[in-house]
Amino acid sequence: MTRILLADDHTVMRNGLRLLLERQPDLKVVGEAADGRQAVDLAAAKNPDVVIMDIAMPQLNGVEATRQIVNRNPDAAVVILSMHKDESYVIRSLKAGARAYLLKDSAEADLIAAIGAITEGKSFFSPAIRSLLKEDYMHQLDELGAEDSYELLTNREREVLQLVAEGKSNKEIAGMLNLSLYTVETHRTHILQKLNLHSAPELILYAVRKGIIS
Amino acid sequence: MPLSTSPGRAPGGRPFLLAGFGSLLLLMLVAGAYALRTLDQVRNSDLEERNTHLRRDRALDRVRTGIYQSAIFMRDYLLALDEKSGAIQLERFAETRRQTDQALAECTTLIDSREREALGKLESEIQVYWKLLGFISQIPAKNRLKFGSEYLSNQVRQHRAELIEMVDQVDAISARQMAASDARMNETFGRLRRRLTLIVALALGVGLFLGGFTVWRTLRLERELEHRYREVLNTQQELTELSARLVSAQEEERRNISRELHDEVGQSLSALLMEAGNAAAHVPANDTHVRQHVDSIKRLAEASVNIIRNMTLLLRPSMLDDFGLVPALEWQAREVSKRTGIRVQVAAADTAGELPDALKTCIYRVVQEALHNCARHAQARSVRVVVRQEEFRIVLSVEDDGRGFDARRVRGLGLVGMEERVRHLGGAFNIRSAPGSGTKVDVELPLAG
Repeated sequence: MTRILLADDHTVMRNGLRLLLERQPDLKVVGEAADGRQAVDLAAAKNPDVVIMDIAMPQLNGVEATRQIVNRNPDAAVVILSMHKDESYVIRSLKAGARAYLLKDSAEADLIAAIGAITEGKSFFSPAIRSLLKEDYMHQLDELGAEDSYELLTNREREVLQLVAEGKSNKEIAGMLNLSLYTVETHRTHILQKLNLHSAPELILYAVRKGIIS
Repeated sequence: MPLSTSPGRAPGGRPFLLAGFGSLLLLMLVAGAYALRTLDQVRNSDLEERNTHLRRDRALDRVRTGIYQSAIFMRDYLLALDEKSGAIQLERFAETRRQTDQALAECTTLIDSREREALGKLESEIQVYWKLLGFISQIPAKNRLKFGSEYLSNQVRQHRAELIEMVDQVDAISARQMAASDARMNETFGRLRRRLTLIVALALGVGLFLGGFTVWRTLRLERELEHRYREVLNTQQELTELSARLVSAQEEERRNISRELHDEVGQSLSALLMEAGNAAAHVPANDTHVRQHVDSIKRLAEASVNIIRNMTLLLRPSMLDDFGLVPALEWQAREVSKRTGIRVQVAAADTAGELPDALKTCIYRVVQEALHNCARHAQARSVRVVVRQEEFRIVLSVEDDGRGFDARRVRGLGLVGMEERVRHLGGAFNIRSAPGSGTKVDVELPLAG
């Protein structure tokens, strides 16, 4: 049973979501918040497995609420469900600690899949967001005429990149690839350097852009 | 209020001034003409008077001489040695008598009619004198000398002295007449002087009044002009403020509409979409008819959500309010790149932090307009947007490699709008461009505090 907290300032939206989610036998909505602050409080009180979070909310917006929830509980799985279809919102949500980003107009189709992925520790993005990020990335590459830095990575590094992007911890990766923890950490550092990235969210974004993960 | 009354009053003084100065000139002209005419008159009458006086004097002199001479001729007749020379003396006497009568007649025409009496008396006495003298010629030759001399010295000499006295009286009359004419002239001069003084005083008065009026009017016009000028300045300032208020009102309106569209319409449509999905879950798998309708509802709602999303971003990108200037600029750059193929680079430190709303809106709109110009007119291939925050100011530049334009002549509404936004925040706006060498927009905005 996956326990879910809904945070959206629109009652109609929350009702729709509840209906959608509770059609699944293994999902249960344990709380509804109408603004960011309430979401933070309820997350602390109910300790849900998954938080479904809108961005545009009064009092405290979804990105800030996500940051506070993840700060308190790093294992909290937050799915952003927003109208905003722009990179800046995706990046900021990821930096705040969200692991999935869905567009509201694709909620009905993708929400169940997203909850499935996120509870397994993976990331998830709406197809529209994925193609947007990819498109922008390709566009930037075209513009800069730059060589794709992905080519700089070794095969081993590419394997590690994919696993990191899928949400695996260093320890899990070491186990899967039969490497020492230290070696995995070194690979990770090299990947970030070669790709000119600075954090795990950026790495995830990069992986989405490259189509390494979905 | 003064606007409505003063333009009516201003031209009213003009006919008055024209009439005033015209009459002043006329007055001086009349005075001059009058003075000249009077002087001419006086000179002429003086000349005439002196001429008459001279002729009268001469005539009187001739009369006086005639009186003496005739007596002398008679004496010479008495003393004549023979008849022949005596006759010559008598002839001379007759000639002198004729001439003297003639001179006396001339004198009569030259003397004033009121003084004729004295002259008439002189005339009749002279006729008596002639008779007295004529009597001598009738004395018989033998006792002519003895008797004649006695007669001459006793009768004639006395009468002659009376006559001379009479002539002197007439002379005095002539002198009196001369003096009277002088007095008349003096009086004419006095009158001229008085009239000229009056006219000059009048002209002076009118001139002073006109001068005063002109000065007063000029000062009033000056004040009015200054007042108008200040009014124009005020109006200009009001206009600037109004346009700034308009800009901020428009911005506020856009923000509200954008939010409303996004938060209400967009969310409702999303909910609708989801409800359609929920409804579809209850539709039996074999009921394709209803399923088609639900799918159609979903597609329509999806399309509407996309339209709403684009509209809200065009009105005012939500990142500007949610995340600040730089993400909004980057979004704008990506959009322009995608739409036009121009390479847009944004170099801005994200540490630009939270700027005041008016400032970030201004910068965002200026960049938006500049990029718009690049895409529409400049045929640029790449654009570089730089935002740099310094201690007391923000520096923005947008530079393209397009075909440029003559920045001194071309000033579109877009540029004016940009400049106005910047100026209203106390910033400096500068655009540098020349045909063939790209365009650079430089903006400096002061940071309060």
